Amino acid sequence: MPTWMILAKGPAFFFVLTLFVLGMLRLFVLTLWDIAAAVRRAGDQRVPYAQLARQTLSWLFPFTRLNRVRVIYSIAAFSLHLGILFGALFLRNHLDILRSNVGFAWISFPKPLLDFLTVIGIIGALILLFSRIYLRNSRQLSKLPDYILLILLLNIFVSGFVAGRSWNPIPYDGLMLFHTLNGMAILVISPFTKIAHCILFPLIRLGSEVAWHFTPQGGSHVVETLHGPDGRKV
Amino acid sequence: MATSSPPVQNLSTSQRRYSYHVETDSESDNRAAKFLAAFAAILRHSNYHFIIELFAKASSRCGRCAVTCQVYQASKDPRDIPCYRTNILLDVYRQYFTTSGQIHNRLMGQDSLNNEKIDEIAECFYRCMACRRCTLECPMGIDHGLMTHLGRYILSEAGIAPKGLVVSVREQLEGTTANTSAIPLPALLDNLEFLQDELRDMKNASISFPVDQEDSEYIFFPAVSDYLMEADTLMGNAAVLHAAATSWTIGSKYYDGINYGLFYDDWVLQRIIQKLVGEAQRLKARKVLIGECGHAARSARQFVPTFAGDRKLPVVSILELTLQAIREGKVKLNRDAIAERVTYHDPCNIARSGWIIDQPRQILKSFIRDFVEMNPHGRENYCCGGGGGLVSLDELHEFRMHVSGKTKAEQIQATGAQIVVSPCANCKKQLRELMNYYKLPVQVVGVHDLILRAIEL
Repeated sequence: MPTWMILAKGPAFFFVLTLFVLGMLRLFVLTLWDIAAAVRRAGDQRVPYAQLARQTLSWLFPFTRLNRVRVIYSIAAFSLHLGILFGALFLRNHLDILRSNVGFAWISFPKPLLDFLTVIGIIGALILLFSRIYLRNSRQLSKLPDYILLILLLNIFVSGFVAGRSWNPIPYDGLMLFHTLNGMAILVISPFTKIAHCILFPLIRLGSEVAWHFTPQGGSHVVETLHGPDGRKV
Repeated sequence: MATSSPPVQNLSTSQRRYSYHVETDSESDNRAAKFLAAFAAILRHSNYHFIIELFAKASSRCGRCAVTCQVYQASKDPRDIPCYRTNILLDVYRQYFTTSGQIHNRLMGQDSLNNEKIDEIAECFYRCMACRRCTLECPMGIDHGLMTHLGRYILSEAGIAPKGLVVSVREQLEGTTANTSAIPLPALLDNLEFLQDELRDMKNASISFPVDQEDSEYIFFPAVSDYLMEADTLMGNAAVLHAAATSWTIGSKYYDGINYGLFYDDWVLQRIIQKLVGEAQRLKARKVLIGECGHAARSARQFVPTFAGDRKLPVVSILELTLQAIREGKVKLNRDAIAERVTYHDPCNIARSGWIIDQPRQILKSFIRDFVEMNPHGRENYCCGGGGGLVSLDELHEFRMHVSGKTKAEQIQATGAQIVVSPCANCKKQLRELMNYYKLPVQVVGVHDLILRAIEL
């Protein structure tokens, strides 16, 4: 095994994984803390937690929502997420690396199933990339990071899928280096980009609701800050 | 739709900076500095800081909201994509209120927020009706309606708010009449006497509009414009309250349910709620009863618990009360009184949350034989096109007709209804203008207008 591979599977992976886990945990804990503080400050502290949990769960498993609007885009996005989740978390090679670094892992899924999910992930990512380039409303919304993230994900999917094949024309080691570097890049930038939604997702609907629970004197304090103790007229 | 649409007019005029009128319109204003100062003060004193931070981190810009927004579907203008508008505000936040943004500004020497950018924001945030339909389809759960509310709040504290809203609120909070329609108390009392006479002639019954009755079960706050423009709605309200033998009163010191603060400024929202609760407390009423008005009902229901301190009172919609009275057999409605085909428009402010959806339908179906639904309806309804205060801005008439209200006109036409019912003063005004604009032979009324025709006393 090349030296770089030993490094990538060992200390480098451990370092990147630590950054990812700590960064994501920090985001989750700080956001939860902020939400709790907002509830404490609110004039009305009744929050429909059960209803929000149901809504969040229904979007976590959005099978009945995919065919409502932007059907192809929605199915593509769902496929991409399936590919990422299962490919990253249930591939035996990935879990072996995890086990050798932290001493534990979980059950892996059969390779043919993961190959299938990887293919639909690739198709999903391509559709999303195509949409961001060619569809007007997606293009109008897109920024450079949106394209870069999709390209990074495609790099990982395609290189990982192709690497072990008999028909792969590219040298295995080089392709794995490419796969590993892209994977590590995604892990490192996740807490600082919109990928953070993977950990913040359970808190967004809760936050949206809590934000409507205003502070009782917030409006008066804003006016006082901007206009002094005498306030202002309407 | 089958009716021919007049051409779109250019909303930008040389006479004013925005599509709507504002009171302060000085070119020398440093609007960017004022905007940032207001933004900072609001983040410091409110509950908005955590949510804008959360949205800034999680917004994926997937664009599903673009498909659900009737404004964008009609205009195809990127400014009308909910996520685009939200991200304008998020970008200002990222650039000026996060450490990474400030470092970036220092290193790159960038300071892109200028008066022109503020003007773009001011224009953009008043093309949204704050109907929150987009929130239904956002996979992330981002509430773009909340961002519209926040954006307008910052603009307002920076001195930019539609004159049509500000002038009304000034009269309500600081004027002598204390209501948005500037109806003096003597005129109100004359009007109530007139309505009582009308009811006597119409129903041969002595139905009163009690004023300043202490210890009543309900203190009644309709949209005050109903006293001028919706006599049938008010007479229907009074007839139901009479038939249900409810103790209720109108307060002489404060009788306006309208709360434009919901549309543009939390300070205004807070002060109006406190005024409403103060009047209820003066008359020792046990519950607040809101008339047929979507935003008045939502603002009272949602924010009395926030701003009333220890004077919290239950808030009830007149539609809830009326349905209860029908179920208890106190209100009898003649099933032959209405022969026309009727459809129902859900006001966003009471339907989007799921609060008032079934009640008006149960009321209407109890006495109307030919009731048809619009598609979609209920929680997923389309806005009338005048939500978020836009209906009060006459200068936006062309936009409301040709862009924001187009889908609603098509929906109504598709039902083949002769009457469209909506329990909201704002929706009714917008819908009437729409029917007139598209030349649709449809009458627009409130729920209690039809009840007035059918009630047996």
